[in-house]
Amino acid sequence: MLEGASLEVGEGQFVSLVGPSGSGKSSLLRAVIGLQKPLAGLVETEVAPSELGILFQDDALLPWRTARDNVALGLGFHGMERQAALKEADAWLARLGLAGFEHRFPRHLSGGQRKRVALAQVLALRPKLLLMDEPFASLDAIVRARIIQDVVALVERERIRVLLVTHDLEEALGLSDVVYLLSQGPRARITQSYPVPIPRPRDVVQARLHPAFAPLYEQLWSDLSREVSREAAEAA
Amino acid sequence: MTLNPSYAWVRQFAALGVLLVLWEGAGYAGMLNPLYMPTPSQIGRALTELFETGSIWTHLEATFGAALGGLVLGIVVGVILGVLAALIPLIAELLEPVMTLLNAIPRVILAPLFVIWLGIGLASKVALSFILVAVLIFFTVFTGIRQVDRKLVERIITLGGDRWALVRHVYLPAVTAWVLGSLKVAIGFAFTGACVGEFVAASRGLGYLLSFAQSTYNSALIMALVFLIMVVVLLIFAISGRLEKWLLRWN
Repeated sequence: MLEGASLEVGEGQFVSLVGPSGSGKSSLLRAVIGLQKPLAGLVETEVAPSELGILFQDDALLPWRTARDNVALGLGFHGMERQAALKEADAWLARLGLAGFEHRFPRHLSGGQRKRVALAQVLALRPKLLLMDEPFASLDAIVRARIIQDVVALVERERIRVLLVTHDLEEALGLSDVVYLLSQGPRARITQSYPVPIPRPRDVVQARLHPAFAPLYEQLWSDLSREVSREAAEAA
Repeated sequence: MTLNPSYAWVRQFAALGVLLVLWEGAGYAGMLNPLYMPTPSQIGRALTELFETGSIWTHLEATFGAALGGLVLGIVVGVILGVLAALIPLIAELLEPVMTLLNAIPRVILAPLFVIWLGIGLASKVALSFILVAVLIFFTVFTGIRQVDRKLVERIITLGGDRWALVRHVYLPAVTAWVLGSLKVAIGFAFTGACVGEFVAASRGLGYLLSFAQSTYNSALIMALVFLIMVVVLLIFAISGRLEKWLLRWN
């Protein structure tokens, strides 16, 4: 459970939220997008829920729709004509490296390809803020690194605002401009923010070799460990 | 001994052939009373007679009409009620006990009632087929929709879809898959309803012919009819298999 959280994601900014499990990271995103009501109080966002996009760990594509139909779906909900929506869908699939796969059903795509379709599905709606809840956790390392690099390039080029929830510190630092740390629940709070001074455009692998990376990583790691051990002490 | 599975049909046909030869031979040797156990050739003769005189067509038509009518009506009503019950709790509360009760009884016991209500014509047979199929499909759809992946539902909502979008893009395709999954059972039920209905009271139909054959102690005709019904149902299975393959091509 999370209490009194306030976050700012600037224009074209990539922000990560890291914290121990049970701190309410996922619940925060679900509350922001309106899938879940906060236990008390309310959620205020500058961006309307219809202008938000969200990506979960599961790609959750409709198995009975082809890749392009899956991408066109959301465009249709937002009132776009079917032909135009399909054209737009193909363009986004191409942008995510899936040209030639438009007519495949999800079952006939690899895990990484399905993740790309899910990304295209969300990005095609041009959300003002993209929320991501551990979106890459289920992918194997190489596929994951390649998708992350493509996402970073796309986010930088299209100047998309992103709020990423993850427990992978390396991922958070490599991708973000700012990392927020959540304290251990119950009654978790946002304890600190860590600006990441690695310049853009970024190469996610090279970012790890930047002189600012290692000290920040250590700092985050020790702060996070303190949170987790505090919980262990409280439980004892 | 290892069996090559791709030749299973050869072995199956060979076994059937041996069985038929033994059966025919036993009858020829006078070991079987033709009154109870006619030989394959006698059954075959009864079958060809039905077609030669042309008398079979009106009966086939009657049974087909009743079974298909009951099947289509049963699927349509079963799907509608199942979807409504799954989405609207009040309807589920009212409908579930009735359906559970109907599901618990052998529904063919309703046949005499339908004859009294609807007469000995086609309507009472359609009604019996319908009630057999509708209850089956209702439960298929009702339990199926409750098992729909929550993540797909959330996905449609976060992409901006409304309730109708959920029905159209998530529930209906899922329902199609489950209905097709129980289509074979439903087809069997539909023919059961039609034949039993005709058995109880009718002036034509395969069930009527069966009851006629029974009252005249004509075992050859009974077996010929059983064989004919098998062929008919297998034919419909083949057609529904094609349909299933096309509708579930994403799978």
